Amino acid sequence: MTPIEASGRPIEVLLVEDSPGDVRLTQETFRDANQSIHLSVATDGAEAMAFLRREEAHAHAPRPDVILLDLNLPKMDGREVLVQIKKDEELKAIPIVILTTSDAEVDIVTSYRLQANCYLTKPVQLKAFEDLVKSINDFWMTNVKLPQPRHGG
Amino acid sequence: MSEEYAQTATMDGSAAGNPRALRDAVDLIQRSGGRVVFATPLGEPAEPQPTASGMSSGLAESPESAAKYRALLEAAPDAMVVVDVLGEIVLLNLQAEKTFGYRRDELVGQPVTNIIPEGFAERLVADGLRPAAEALTQHMGTGLELSGRRKDGSEFPIEIMLSPLDSDEGIVVTAAIRDISARKATEAALLQKVEELKRSNEELGQFAYIASHDLQEPLRMVASYTQLLARRYKGRLDKDADEFIGFAVDGASRMQQLIQDLLDYSRIGTKGRDLIETSSEVALQQALRNLRGAIEESHALVTHDPLPLVLADPMQLSQLFQNLIGNAIKYQKTGAVPEVHISAGRNGDPKWTFSVRDNGLGIDPQYFERIFGMFQRLHKRDEFAGTGMGLAICKKIVERHGATISVESQLGHGSTFRFALAESEPTS
Repeated sequence: MTPIEASGRPIEVLLVEDSPGDVRLTQETFRDANQSIHLSVATDGAEAMAFLRREEAHAHAPRPDVILLDLNLPKMDGREVLVQIKKDEELKAIPIVILTTSDAEVDIVTSYRLQANCYLTKPVQLKAFEDLVKSINDFWMTNVKLPQPRHGG
Repeated sequence: MSEEYAQTATMDGSAAGNPRALRDAVDLIQRSGGRVVFATPLGEPAEPQPTASGMSSGLAESPESAAKYRALLEAAPDAMVVVDVLGEIVLLNLQAEKTFGYRRDELVGQPVTNIIPEGFAERLVADGLRPAAEALTQHMGTGLELSGRRKDGSEFPIEIMLSPLDSDEGIVVTAAIRDISARKATEAALLQKVEELKRSNEELGQFAYIASHDLQEPLRMVASYTQLLARRYKGRLDKDADEFIGFAVDGASRMQQLIQDLLDYSRIGTKGRDLIETSSEVALQQALRNLRGAIEESHALVTHDPLPLVLADPMQLSQLFQNLIGNAIKYQKTGAVPEVHISAGRNGDPKWTFSVRDNGLGIDPQYFERIFGMFQRLHKRDEFAGTGMGLAICKKIVERHGATISVESQLGHGSTFRFALAESEPTS
């Protein structure tokens, strides 16, 4: 297995985020960090699960290589999404990066207990956020060896 | 009667059936302090012999003891009511008259249920009928909500101590009844204060969370997008636009710092660790590592004496040093080389007094108190940046350690900040 980047196909990232400002900011910074990332967006937990299970409108959704998950979401919140993914045999191998504004100890502990792969807080300053996105890209998209999807998107 | 004996008699009433204890009752009660339970054999419950004062003289072994009795009963701080096996009141003191609002002759010979709750009165009598060995002094009313009933029908919370006595001449039960309205009211008020305090603490904790999350969220948007605007459009709009964007970026950054500092401040109390044996020297080294950038930039000369082991929260002690030394380096004339010296001494005091002395701008004594307040600044923003929370955080940390922080300074002659910390060895 090789890092995804070397495989030549686009890196599929699912961003689960309800704030349009955050969505746009993440899109902007990922575009600057790595042109070969294809970022899909789900704006609540229920939509994220539908996307991952390719239900209804998401029948042709790509299988993400990495999921960026906010904790505080409408309908089904991030913790519940985490639980759902980790108990799903098809989905549990996808790494999940928690990306949230909360730096509350309880959120951090809960996320790791629910088997999140890492926990990152969104910094307030743009430069710091760009650095964070760059480090996500460098680590998860470039260095880390990920399982190959069993069926492509 | 020995001191020890009196004590036992008072605590568990085991002397209640002992004629010797009764004869020497004066001694007993004098030694017992305020809480008096007192009983005496009753000759003929059905035929009490009223005296001028309404008290039965048949209760004592001799006229001499009877007199002693009356005096004792009257001297008791509680309402004292003596009840016979039929549940009728045979004797009471002045305090009982006052407490229940009856005249003595209105109660003597009446059922005790007139003044205390029915179920309880029955139990009182039942207790009296049990063998004395089994039913010694009963302290009732703790944990039970009991109430007494005055002549006017009003009820009030009471505490009752019972003392049944099996004597040669019959069984009586003496009830010491205390009106605990005042205590109940105090307890309720105290409980309410505790509740209020708990609620306000919870609100403070809630506030910390709101500041950390809900407030940061919109702030991130403002900060990020004004910064993105500045980056992409600087020089492409007109000069005014650049300036306006600059103010917006600056405002958002300062607001972020304010929120962060406020959060740090509120967390001193809520996130503080236990005070443990801490090397103040290690805490200082940590602070200096965090300040490395500022120290290198200013070429500051930071020196210190050997520093002691103290009782402290290591992270907070480090933050305290960091804020004080950071200020010492920051508040300097342009181009001046900051010199900071940290020392600790104790002049025979059980606590160590730490000093952080600098050669900086100094502080006008009229501002000595103000500088420790929240968001207090003595300089314009273009002179020195900052939220004015640094020393407020220092003060809160020192106060959490049970001490105070003070400053000694003169404008233009540097400042010395002092605070005391307990030494770590437990004093034995």
